[in-house]
Amino acid sequence: MPDQQNASSDLSRRSFLGVGASALGGMLLAGCGGGGDTTAGGGNPTKAPSGGGKTISILDDNTNKIFKQSVIDAFTKKTGIKVARYEQANFNDLHDRLATAFRAQDSTFDVVMTWAAWSAEFGQAGWLEPLPRSEVPADVLPAALDAVSWNGKVYGLPKFASAQTMFYNKTLFRQAGLDPERPPASWDEFASAAAKLTSGDVFGYACDMGNTDGAYQNFIRTLLLNGGSFYGPDDKVTFNSPEGVDALSRLVGLLRTQKVMNPSSLQITNSSDLNTLFAGGQVGIVFNWPFQYAEAIKSGSKLDKRTVGNALIPGIKVRSASIDGSEGFAMNHFAKNKSAALEWLKFVTTPEVQRRMVAEEGWLPVTKSLLEDREVETDLPVVATYREESRFAIKRYGSPWYSKVVDDLSANITKAMLGQMSPKQALDGSAQNATDIISQYQSA
Amino acid sequence: MTVAVEHPANRRGARLGAERRFTVALIAPAVIAIFALFGYPLGYAAWLSLHRADETLGPARPYVGLRNYTRLAEDAQFHDALARTAYFSVLTVVLGVAFALGIALLLHQPFRGRTVARVLLLVPWAVPPVVNGIMWHYIYDPNWGVLNAVVRGAGLIQGNVAWLGSQNRALNALVFSELWKLLPFLTLLFLAGLQGIPENLYRAARVDGANVWSRFLHITLPGLRAPIMFALIVQTMWSLKVFDTIYVLTQGGPARGTTTINYFGYLQTFKFLNDGGGAAVAIMVMLLVLIATVVYVALFNAPWRRLRRARAL
Repeated sequence: MPDQQNASSDLSRRSFLGVGASALGGMLLAGCGGGGDTTAGGGNPTKAPSGGGKTISILDDNTNKIFKQSVIDAFTKKTGIKVARYEQANFNDLHDRLATAFRAQDSTFDVVMTWAAWSAEFGQAGWLEPLPRSEVPADVLPAALDAVSWNGKVYGLPKFASAQTMFYNKTLFRQAGLDPERPPASWDEFASAAAKLTSGDVFGYACDMGNTDGAYQNFIRTLLLNGGSFYGPDDKVTFNSPEGVDALSRLVGLLRTQKVMNPSSLQITNSSDLNTLFAGGQVGIVFNWPFQYAEAIKSGSKLDKRTVGNALIPGIKVRSASIDGSEGFAMNHFAKNKSAALEWLKFVTTPEVQRRMVAEEGWLPVTKSLLEDREVETDLPVVATYREESRFAIKRYGSPWYSKVVDDLSANITKAMLGQMSPKQALDGSAQNATDIISQYQSA
Repeated sequence: MTVAVEHPANRRGARLGAERRFTVALIAPAVIAIFALFGYPLGYAAWLSLHRADETLGPARPYVGLRNYTRLAEDAQFHDALARTAYFSVLTVVLGVAFALGIALLLHQPFRGRTVARVLLLVPWAVPPVVNGIMWHYIYDPNWGVLNAVVRGAGLIQGNVAWLGSQNRALNALVFSELWKLLPFLTLLFLAGLQGIPENLYRAARVDGANVWSRFLHITLPGLRAPIMFALIVQTMWSLKVFDTIYVLTQGGPARGTTTINYFGYLQTFKFLNDGGGAAVAIMVMLLVLIATVVYVALFNAPWRRLRRARAL
């Protein structure tokens, strides 16, 4: 009896294990089969049948609304290529998402958003597909093309051009006894105007230095305004030159000595928050991207077309200078629909799309012909200022080592702003670190 | 003729062996799945940490031995991140456990509206971590934030304060937001523990003349030994690995003032694309969590073991 019981028990165990093994095997097979079906062709379930090449997927940042609203439909109508997926992600999260996807050689998105730093970083890593020069429209603005290029290779085409200019609140100017039709033309005039504008919770000046890129941007703009440069020949670090130290000292002075910079500048992490502050009438002068104008005259703002002033950023040793913020689209190196992706890149640079980018979103056109177009200027007065600003240095210094260098430099800039380091100590320390980082790339 | 008689002990042994094999067979799929899901990434991370893996420097991944680890040992930024992590962990663990214990003791008392209070307690826990971060971002906003409005309204400050604008203030603000998020879980844990302590122990202690403090010290605290140990272990792990609140609220700034070791590792891997360096940091974080767990278990078990040994004698 015990033996029979055991036998029966063994049998049931064996049966159980057999069923379990079959189920597990089935699940594994199902998993393999499912993966094969859904990820055929590199993991994109939305791809067209092989050989079709008429479907693309796009990963963009959340700057523009017009693509989703109607540009995609117009593109499909014109080219016959269907945009199966258009996804927008927060700009601050996009770098990590792209880096992760590229590492996995993921081909879900054929087209990805890029700008100066990412074009260099991802291009150097071989994750972006270089474009033949013949595909680059002849009259694309050099600064906008720089945003999608690195080391002589073009990895995409710009979707809009951008550079910072000065915006000021004419109402506050008037209230402070300043002539609203005569904006500051030099740094000293700017500092003096900012002092007159500062009263109670209203500050003369504010900026977005609350994160890594912000601190860097605000420093290099002032460096360029002082006639300095970030790198010399052969990528030699020059930002700690006397011009650099003086530039940072002036920024520190605005906050700590003159007290005309809103202290929240050290916590503001993006230009949209800066825009909100400006549109709310809490700051007299900001240096911001072109979209500032469109946002400041929207309903709900305390300003309108008559009260928003726009002019060149006042310089220190030079009349003016600015930083570039152009963005573009690039082709994923692992994309399966490269020819269709290229059609999208080219379509975005057409006057049809660019006019809407200017009129509806307040960004600058990417071609010289549109920049000279007076009709475009009527839609966006910033265009005239940008044309004038283009006569001076407009840089961003994108590079494969951008993130590493900027992280350290920004930390030191903030320490200088907080009075924990002298501007010279801050820049000398970062210059040494940047030199070490760049030498790794040069010897690699 | 010899008749083979099976000894009962052998039969029992055979049955036990079969049961053991059955047990192993049942556990095996889970163990294999865990190994595949955790073992492989862990092994790959360990492998990466011994190589220079940075695609912006080229596709090659040369073996560098312990270079990524020795670089961390020399890196002042990593040392600072370690110190910040220690500060953040000690504050969140100690304050978290202390506050949660206090709240649990209050909510354990019978009073009108106790159920509502217990439900309200769960609200911060129900809020997703990223939403929690965004909420605190608005509260700490230097121009329109509620905190400035309240503190200014109370006449404690003259002008608006940039709560996340300097390193120490931002780190403390982070601790506060984290405490708000973790208190419900810890409180629930202690509440459950309190309900498991027999009421007759308190009655007997009262009869023996024990005051409130003595009852807390000799009945409540020993009764909560297991939940406290669990809370300390889990909270220490979470504090060492904190990421979401930092990412949403401060992104490690200002001037790296809120960059803890886990965030430092994230920066290496995802911002600087330095997979080797990032993997080395991840391994260090894992070792720290392991060490902390072992230390807690040893500390909590030592007096217990001594007590059992004394009773055995």
